[in-house]
Amino acid sequence: MTTDDDTRLLDDLRDMWWRADPPPPALASAMVATVAAADLDDEWELLVLVSDSADGPVAQVRGLSSSRVLYFNAESGWSLEAEIDGDEVRGQLLDLDGDPGSVVVGLETRDGTSWTTELDEVGFFSMRAAAAGGVRFTVRIGRKVATSGWLDV
Amino acid sequence: MAVPPTCHDMGTMVTMSENRRAEGQLDESPWDKASGAFTAWRAGDATAVDDLVATMTPVLWHVVRAYGHDREAAGDVIQATWLGFVRLHQTIEDPQAVASWLITSARRGAAAHARTARRADPVEDEVLAAVLPDDVSAETVAVLDDEAARLWGAVAKVDERCRKLLRVIAFMDRPDYQSLSQDLDMPVGSIGPTRARCLAKVRTALAEGGQR
Repeated sequence: MTTDDDTRLLDDLRDMWWRADPPPPALASAMVATVAAADLDDEWELLVLVSDSADGPVAQVRGLSSSRVLYFNAESGWSLEAEIDGDEVRGQLLDLDGDPGSVVVGLETRDGTSWTTELDEVGFFSMRAAAAGGVRFTVRIGRKVATSGWLDV
Repeated sequence: MAVPPTCHDMGTMVTMSENRRAEGQLDESPWDKASGAFTAWRAGDATAVDDLVATMTPVLWHVVRAYGHDREAAGDVIQATWLGFVRLHQTIEDPQAVASWLITSARRGAAAHARTARRADPVEDEVLAAVLPDDVSAETVAVLDDEAARLWGAVAKVDERCRKLLRVIAFMDRPDYQSLSQDLDMPVGSIGPTRARCLAKVRTALAEGGQR
């Protein structure tokens, strides 16, 4: 028997199971309701990168500065400014409507290493982190999480 | 209702899967629909997550049922899978991988649930395994056409491990043999050959039943 024969038989088996043992009719709608009730949209949002010093004219002048300044906006109105300078990462949350004490700022690399720190009373943070390669920021505010896309540093 | 096999001219048998495609039922796979919905949702379409859930819930059903769970337990495992998605979806880096992520999560939930059930009532579990997959009602089998009914009968004759492996793989987009090997307690290199052997067993059972 060829691989094609095996693929065809597997396709036929899938068709058979689709029809022989379908899920209860209400299951999908119940799961839609489950996800909606979990307040998915309120739990997570994207941190949108709106400014990156690597894209600016300063970046053209090598040696002027070793730091990288990033600026993100969250849909709910606040912003994250972060500066990566060697193994030092610092920044602040701007326009946050809430208690800075409930905020945890995190940085993670593609290999799974992560660092976190809390904000001080006026919204600043600083941490030592070997940020190299692909990284992304995560800001946790209570139960809500905002995450940036991956960017190379 | 029994439907006679469709034939091309010269009497060539058309398989069930070809029939489905001819009817346009497989124009877009659920895995492709899932990644499209997930991408749209991440791009800001708040209702797209409903499409994702509606598309993938039936797929997860079959993956979880492969582990022998009854219908109520399967529903519980699927609900836990979606709640896990709510908590962790931001860790899904590649939207194309959302179906695989969900299926892997459902498989692990199903396996964990099976372990818990075994500890709770080993005798009942063994009895349950012995009768799988006959827990689908006779009425259900009666509505299958001849080809599907023969497949159903053939699958019922192969061992439970083969049934589980084939049903899980049948509903995976791109089978991830590495994670399957962990979940099914098989060496990764043996999954491909085992799949082939299990399909051969189905063919043998079909031949004994006078088909394929």
